[in-house]
Amino acid sequence: MIVEALADFLTLSELGRVVVQGLAKSALYVMIASGLTLIFGLMGVLNFAHGSLTMVGAYLGGLVMVLTVSQSTGVVGRLGLFFVAIVVVFGALTILGGAIETTVIRPLYDRPPIYQILLTFGLTLVVDEIVRIVLGLYGMQPLSDWQAALATKPQLLREPAALGPVEVRWLSVFEILLGVLTVAAIWAFLTRTRYGLYIRAGSEDSEMASALGIDVRQVFTVVFALGIGLAGAAGTLLMWDVAWGASVPLAAETLLPAFIVVIVGGLGTFRGTVVASLVVGMTDSTMTWWFQNYIRFTGLPELTLFLVLVVTLVVRPQGLFGVEEVGGH
Amino acid sequence: MSLLELDGVHAYYGDSHILEGVDLSVEAGEVVALVGRNGVGKTTTLRSILQLTPPRAGEVRFREESLVGLETHEVAQRGVGWIPEDRRIFSQLTVEENLRAAIPDADGVSSGLSLAFDAFPILEERRGQDAGTLSGGQQQMLAIARGLVGENDLLLVDEPSEGLAPQIVADVAEALSAASEDATMLLVEQNLPLALDLADRFYIVDNGRVVDDGDADAVSADDERFRRYLSA
Amino acid sequence: MAISTDTDTQSAAVTGLDWPTEYLRAHLPHLALVGLLALYPSIYHLLAESLSLYEAEILLPGVETMTAVLYFGLFAMSFDFVSGYTGYLSFGHAAFYGTGAYTVILVANGAVPLLGPGTPFVVSLLVAGVLAVLLALVVGLVSFRLSGVYFAMITLGFAQVLYVFIRGWDYVASNPRDGPSVGPTHPEGFQIGVPGVDQLNVAIGVLAGEEVTVLGHTLSGTAVSYYAIGAVVLLCYFAMQRIIHSPFGRVMVAIRENEERAVAIGYDTYRYKLAAFAVSGFFAAIAGGLFAGFRRSASPENSFYFLTTGDALLASIIGGFGTLAGPLFGRLFDETVREFLSKSGQGGGLLPYLRAGLGEETLATPVVGDTSLGVLIDTLLNGHASLYVGIVFVLFVLYVPDGLLGTVRQRVGGTLAEVSAARFRDAASESETSDDATGGDEQ
Repeated sequence: MIVEALADFLTLSELGRVVVQGLAKSALYVMIASGLTLIFGLMGVLNFAHGSLTMVGAYLGGLVMVLTVSQSTGVVGRLGLFFVAIVVVFGALTILGGAIETTVIRPLYDRPPIYQILLTFGLTLVVDEIVRIVLGLYGMQPLSDWQAALATKPQLLREPAALGPVEVRWLSVFEILLGVLTVAAIWAFLTRTRYGLYIRAGSEDSEMASALGIDVRQVFTVVFALGIGLAGAAGTLLMWDVAWGASVPLAAETLLPAFIVVIVGGLGTFRGTVVASLVVGMTDSTMTWWFQNYIRFTGLPELTLFLVLVVTLVVRPQGLFGVEEVGGH
Repeated sequence: MSLLELDGVHAYYGDSHILEGVDLSVEAGEVVALVGRNGVGKTTTLRSILQLTPPRAGEVRFREESLVGLETHEVAQRGVGWIPEDRRIFSQLTVEENLRAAIPDADGVSSGLSLAFDAFPILEERRGQDAGTLSGGQQQMLAIARGLVGENDLLLVDEPSEGLAPQIVADVAEALSAASEDATMLLVEQNLPLALDLADRFYIVDNGRVVDDGDADAVSADDERFRRYLSA
Repeated sequence: MAISTDTDTQSAAVTGLDWPTEYLRAHLPHLALVGLLALYPSIYHLLAESLSLYEAEILLPGVETMTAVLYFGLFAMSFDFVSGYTGYLSFGHAAFYGTGAYTVILVANGAVPLLGPGTPFVVSLLVAGVLAVLLALVVGLVSFRLSGVYFAMITLGFAQVLYVFIRGWDYVASNPRDGPSVGPTHPEGFQIGVPGVDQLNVAIGVLAGEEVTVLGHTLSGTAVSYYAIGAVVLLCYFAMQRIIHSPFGRVMVAIRENEERAVAIGYDTYRYKLAAFAVSGFFAAIAGGLFAGFRRSASPENSFYFLTTGDALLASIIGGFGTLAGPLFGRLFDETVREFLSKSGQGGGLLPYLRAGLGEETLATPVVGDTSLGVLIDTLLNGHASLYVGIVFVLFVLYVPDGLLGTVRQRVGGTLAEVSAARFRDAASESETSDDATGGDEQ
């Protein structure tokens, strides 16, 4: 039976589908996790509020789409507006992130790192509850996906796409494209700009960076703001994916995978996060296939993500690309 | 008027009182050595100037301006450079990126890089390499070069010869003396002959205080004062 | 003044006090607190029901809520025991709570081998505790190779693995996503007391709680549950408190303050951490078992889920991290705010009070756009306690990092028991000298 299953798994169409779905998942994971990893890498702050801000981004992005898209808007128009929504959400959440850093995170840099975890954990409670209140005012259900936002998705992204013998969803292709775009943009920012240089220098040794004249505190604020902006942008993309959708529980649904990706990659290394996204995304889609077709146990694909985490930490505690001493954070 | 003046500086690490009233001054163009046993507060003196370990009492003046209460990057922007103990180069950045991070002005990048590469041709050969892969001597060169390209008037140099092979120490000493042509230097160095060779004047530090000072050219390394304060 | 001629007492007077008195005085704040908690149901009954003070009903949490404060407070204390005293944030602590809850229910349903549905509750609590110890040892063996954020994350990882697993495992319940509840094999309430002696047992539960008449005063099932659970919690608290004040506890604190130094002195910190983790797992499971015994059901969300750990964290920070008793007060605060803001319909809570107090007309006034004041109040308050608790939590992290009890202790300069005991000793020695003086005058 196992041989039979393996033969089934290894056919081009099945394997191709698993790979494309894995890449799409990887793309989502890298978008959710990259803000988290930038913030931790530079500041040593493990931001528990990251998922909540992704969720806020999903609602804000949905709001932009719902307000601007009408029945008659075509595919190109909808995709164009989607990019407008991403830009708007990114901008708004970057400002929000900057405000959070300067008001509540900054006073905690001199305390043990545990307090930053605690504080951001408190923020999630506040943010989630504010969202519930706002939804309540408009009579929306916090627990179920926002259907109106899902409805702004162009028809094309609902249809299957044929890549040779492999049948996939257009949405997967779209997600992969956006993921690649995000990674490329962050990569370019980190390696090609002066500010990116400061971020990498500060991530390695913030004291030395400040002794070279770099205003590390300001870099902290900018990175925190941009990290939150990225969380929001990721949320905007998730709003269109039926597997996620804009809802309050999205906060926890995205936070945990983001943690796993960041830790498996090695806390604070962007390169590690990209590789870990691929590992986790591929594992996820592979296990999903097996559990859908040959092993009956609901929830096990989720389980495998945490097993990847536990196995990584047992075998290589600092993560795939982590530096040994970061473990002492 | 002195370029740098420390007046009764007290500094702590947590609860332990490290500096118990340090007084010293450095004139423009001088090389001044701080000598003393391990753990008497030499490194902390440098850190207190940079406000990395902010003094709890006393005054630090650079060009007549008080540095106390400034942020470290503000001190650095006023022209104080740090070549720290253990080098502290950014090991995951390339050699060139290490230098770029130290150049204050985006317009000065190309001139800064050529300044560094003229002084240390080996760094130009290795410019695209991760700095963590350099040898100890090369890393020290890079640390000094980072101090040079920062347009600094004062360089705080901490244990530049530590952990280096003797012939490499000679190279480093040469590099430092070349650097001291353009900049004033406050130097912490365990290797006493090297310190006296580079310095114009010296201060002896013991138990968080300056206990003696003198003209570096007028003494030899086996002077009785050094024996009293430096022998373990 | 009558001076006893008994030689024992006289010799005791030389050293200060005889030991039972000394012990009682040292624990006076504990006694006072336990006394207050013991009287609480009567106080609540008197104010809210007999005198029908509306305000009391609004402000004071009901006895059922207080029961929840007790068992969840125990869970938060067990979390604080390891996290607050060794500095290792046990972010997967919910796994032990869940283990306790599920074990109790599964034993009652006859789903655990060797233990029939008739197994006494106290025994299944202990079994749950032992299972949690085993789980803690397995998780700890791996996790204590790491520290800081990594430790927090790997324990979270283990707990989430269990959460997802338990949510999909149809052996535990017919619908594992909703979790198990006590089935027909165990219709009677869970009994706390001495196993086998019927007279020394009382049944607990929201509905299954047993009425008990003491000295002509009948206690409701809810009050009985409150006392029975309170007794177990008290016992567990004193056990943990003894450990904290033992040499073992001092090593735990040494690990928190400076682990390298503790290693340098020669302690095998790995073993100490593992042992502390196992002990805290044991008490977390007891707490979970009490919860399940009282509610007769559990769901993955209110037992194994990481936000359950989050609630313990919340209680610990507000009450005082590393104070052991503090988390109980933190939980009390949390539950009180939740009840204050969440109650609707008849009964206490802010919402019905405002509705009644403001009157129809005021409530119908539009405030923002078409939204009337009533709707606005409803949206801002009803069920949104998390917002206010979250804000308070953030403020505590920022401005009161030692929490309620920690701050009080800092103000008075020691634990309340120590300080009050010291006061008594001073007062006693003072009065002794004055006694001697007056005695001399009389002679």
